[in-house]
Amino acid sequence: MARPEARLKELKSSDLKHEIDARRDLVVTLNRRSENRLIAYGEDFMFEKLPAGTRVVYPPPPLDPLPDPDTAIRYALLHPLNADPLFAQLNPNMRVTIAIDDISLPLPQMRRPDLRERMLNSILQTLADYGVDDVHLVVATSLHRRMTEREIHRMVGERAFRQFWPERLYNFDAENRAEIVMIGKTDHGEEVWLSRRAAESDLVIYLNINLVPMDGGHKSVAVGLAPYQSLRHHHNPATLRDSHSYMDPNRSALHNSANRMGKLINQQLNVFSVETAVNTQMYGGMLDFLQKNEDRFSDWDRMRLKGFRWTLGSVSNDLRRQMLHQYAAPYGLTGVWAGETETVHRQALAKVFQQYAVPVKGQSDILIVGVPYICPYNVNSIMNPVLVQCTGMGYLFNMYRNKPLVKPGGTMIICHPLRDEFHPEHHPSYIEFFHRCLSETTDATELANKYEHEFAHNPTYTHMYRYGHAYHGVHPFYMWYWGEPARQHCGRVIAAGCEEPEVAARLGWEAADTLDEAIAMATADHGRSASITYLHLPPLVIADVE
Amino acid sequence: MSVHHPAKTRGARPAAAGAAFYDLDGTLVGLNLIHTALYIFSNLGEWTGRASYLLNFAARIPSLYFAERRDRYLLNVVLFEMFKGVSRDRLEELGDEYCERVLMENLYPQARDMIESNRAAGLEPVLVTGSPDFIAAPLSRRLGIGDYAANRLAFVRGRATGRLVSPIMAGDEKARWCADYAAARQLDLGKCRGYADSHYDLPFLAALGHPVAVNPDQRLSATARSRQWPIIHFNQKGPRTTLARAMRAQAESWIWRWLDGAA
Repeated sequence: MARPEARLKELKSSDLKHEIDARRDLVVTLNRRSENRLIAYGEDFMFEKLPAGTRVVYPPPPLDPLPDPDTAIRYALLHPLNADPLFAQLNPNMRVTIAIDDISLPLPQMRRPDLRERMLNSILQTLADYGVDDVHLVVATSLHRRMTEREIHRMVGERAFRQFWPERLYNFDAENRAEIVMIGKTDHGEEVWLSRRAAESDLVIYLNINLVPMDGGHKSVAVGLAPYQSLRHHHNPATLRDSHSYMDPNRSALHNSANRMGKLINQQLNVFSVETAVNTQMYGGMLDFLQKNEDRFSDWDRMRLKGFRWTLGSVSNDLRRQMLHQYAAPYGLTGVWAGETETVHRQALAKVFQQYAVPVKGQSDILIVGVPYICPYNVNSIMNPVLVQCTGMGYLFNMYRNKPLVKPGGTMIICHPLRDEFHPEHHPSYIEFFHRCLSETTDATELANKYEHEFAHNPTYTHMYRYGHAYHGVHPFYMWYWGEPARQHCGRVIAAGCEEPEVAARLGWEAADTLDEAIAMATADHGRSASITYLHLPPLVIADVE
Repeated sequence: MSVHHPAKTRGARPAAAGAAFYDLDGTLVGLNLIHTALYIFSNLGEWTGRASYLLNFAARIPSLYFAERRDRYLLNVVLFEMFKGVSRDRLEELGDEYCERVLMENLYPQARDMIESNRAAGLEPVLVTGSPDFIAAPLSRRLGIGDYAANRLAFVRGRATGRLVSPIMAGDEKARWCADYAAARQLDLGKCRGYADSHYDLPFLAALGHPVAVNPDQRLSATARSRQWPIIHFNQKGPRTTLARAMRAQAESWIWRWLDGAA
């Protein structure tokens, strides 16, 4: 197998120069004199001394953004890949559906103007120029919660909102039987269902933001505009267990299934994909120290860190949550491509890996990760224990290509306070899932067989999904399945800084008061010479593990 | 099981896996007992009779208010006293008419979907309401609900005495009735669902495994949040037949009848 670094060299050397220089010191081995490390800890941060010998994997610095995003978008629409330019596909009598990624991307939310607003403005202008009137804008929520009017307004911008809301700009409703249609079956027998509006359109334009490599491609339409009937074919324990990893689409059964569905969709529909990639500029200005190597902290950085932690610790829980969720990241656009789905996605993937990939030598016995206050499913909401599980064992464990960062049977230490706290409007089915289902078993297959159908068809949860702002009844199951590869791989999971040990026990984890205690518990198993890796967040990093 | 009314069609249905219990006023429809009483009183006999019942009602508004503040049970007792002297057949006829013209028009569309979805999930719908049986019976018939529990007026020689036959469907009594109902059918209450809107229904909801607060009042909303119960909101989309509109329609109908007679 080619060395992981070799993949990076597939890109143009001029593009790589900046990254390779920057990546020499991205894997840092700590010694006794090393500075404490900043670790995401829910709605707070830990600043902890890690044992000497611990390997810290830092994310690469942000790629340089494109100087003029609007021009770049217009260029992409005029010079699409493996497809005719957008204007050449238009005629006044056609029906066009524009599907848009929802609020789960990017994280944290980006500063205005959102990339989707920029893309929409360009596309809507083109459609207007060519006299296309029958245009609907659908937020591709799939089984996610409906976005609120304010969230949609912020995302699509003033022009699109004024022109289209609410009749022609709306959230996809996966439970409206009249609005979904089955368009066929793949050769693996997977039913492919889709929004009727999209299926009956002459042109479907999908606007995507690639935050991580698992986004985009066929997954956009085949998942974003699909109901439970489609999703159950790949969002299940068996498929997710066979994905190594979610961030490596070539080795992910989840992506293979979505690709089969997407290909079937593209055979029947005219899909024009627009994909974008953003850099890792999550925290800028006064918070840029969060992305720094702590050994290089200046006095000013330390002062800001103290001030930041003091502020977070001084305000009420609600206010702290609001403050954190209202923060908007100064992401920079690093690439935009339009045209045929697969060709576009290949380009976007290359750019995303160029941003995130860091070569790492070998696995370790213990992997430490900090779960932050936000994940794709709790934007403007609460990070409940099921989502902590999904973020830690689903997303952060899967931040690798080739091999996981932790050895088989190794220990994962997840830093989070783990409170029995749920958002009643956004996550109602999570509450029952956590208190009723997980109290019986943590086995994903058993949960799927015994409860998934009941939750997926629970009329109360369906009502809350359709008319309120709740995630679909089946969603907590998907979050649990998401952690399945890590559950199969790791021997032990310890929640460090856990405030409610019974919550950790419900998830099948052990609890430790402090990170030191968690490390001591883990080294008791693996010996004092156990190797430890800490995956530093924010922003994000994907380890190419040899 | 004194308040249980099995429907004739019940035998045709397969055995249910559980039951979904629904409160009526404020839950399935956006109306309450006061609307029912006003509709009935404004349609009783000659205008003198109507006037007398409506004046009686107006005189009792303060006591109704304080009864509602104190206890739902008391409200039922005070309200149903006013039906004294009304004949059974007239009440049944007006109940059917009220159901057809007002209740069905004001039924939340999502409520009907909820009943059907729960039925599809194997949960037999059951109405548990403080409304009188002459309202609950025709409504249940129209919604295909087999069983219901409702308040019943006592009658002597075909006329209402103004007293309610126990058990009076309010507060704890609803919960007790559900427990008896489930025991008689060997249903696990832990698997049953309950939908209600008022904090007076707290014992009823707490007795069921899957309580849901529908359009909850402030106190039920606070309790539902603290107990992490789902809170849902039904609303009326499209033209609504409010009591005011129904009364206006009634007034117009009287005017036209009078004009017809004069001509």
